Amino acid sequence: MTMKLIVAALALAIATPALATGKMTCAASPEQRKPIAALTADLVKQGWAVRKAKLDGGCYEVYGTTPEGDRVEAYFDPISFEKLYVERRGEVLFKKN
Amino acid sequence: MSPHRPAYLLWLLLAAPSLWLITEAFRAGADLDLLTATSGLWAAWLLVAALALTPLLRLLPSLGWLRPQRRAIGLAAFATSTVHLGLYGAAMADFDAIFAEITTAGIWTGWAALALLLPLALTSRDTAMRRLGRGWKRLQRLAYPAALLTLLHMGLVHNGWQGALWLAVPLLVLQLTRLLPRRALPAQPKVPA
Repeated sequence: MTMKLIVAALALAIATPALATGKMTCAASPEQRKPIAALTADLVKQGWAVRKAKLDGGCYEVYGTTPEGDRVEAYFDPISFEKLYVERRGEVLFKKN
Repeated sequence: MSPHRPAYLLWLLLAAPSLWLITEAFRAGADLDLLTATSGLWAAWLLVAALALTPLLRLLPSLGWLRPQRRAIGLAAFATSTVHLGLYGAAMADFDAIFAEITTAGIWTGWAALALLLPLALTSRDTAMRRLGRGWKRLQRLAYPAALLTLLHMGLVHNGWQGALWLAVPLLVLQLTRLLPRRALPAQPKVPA
């Protein structure tokens, strides 16, 4: 019994981080979203270095370096490309009200 | 003194995450951020395993053969932590960027945890055990603050505590069973000479 519980706990410990969800949600439907490549192009023009961009919680999530040189994870609205949330190593640098 | 009999299969198992992570990192287009996070999780996991082992064996005497392998598990935790640091460095690819974020709570806790583990790994030898005498055990207890810092690092850097709690809760529960009276536990087998 104890053994079973331990195995179950360990299995969950391994599996859980894979389920980590986004920190932001955006309501736009897939047809409404503008292409993610347009967002990364905009960011590069503003001086960002983009390493990875993907959809998360309906928002566009970008991993990259800001023009100020901070290594961040940022969320953008997929229609307006408005900046919603910026986090550096878990430290929230910006959050839209 | 425990004989530290070789347990090659277990050692291979303990080294497997690091070996896999390193091979993955050298692939073209490797997601170094993801590999960094994964390696950190494995390192934390191994550290918690090393610390959970003694109370776990009190509850499950049939796993007693693992006892002499505690050092191997601890060393695997340290080795995986250095792989984690290497992957982090590779993902950052820039010393300035590393220095720029070193004061972030999520980052310095990780550095501090690794700094605490370093003397423990260096003294994980029989000669060091003999030379340090009683001080050896006191030194090795630094593994507990290292684990605390590791869990803080995990929670802060991800800005989410779920992953860290899945490690912290079983560890805490197992440590609390140390308070159980001996007669509440299954009989401990005699260690064969």
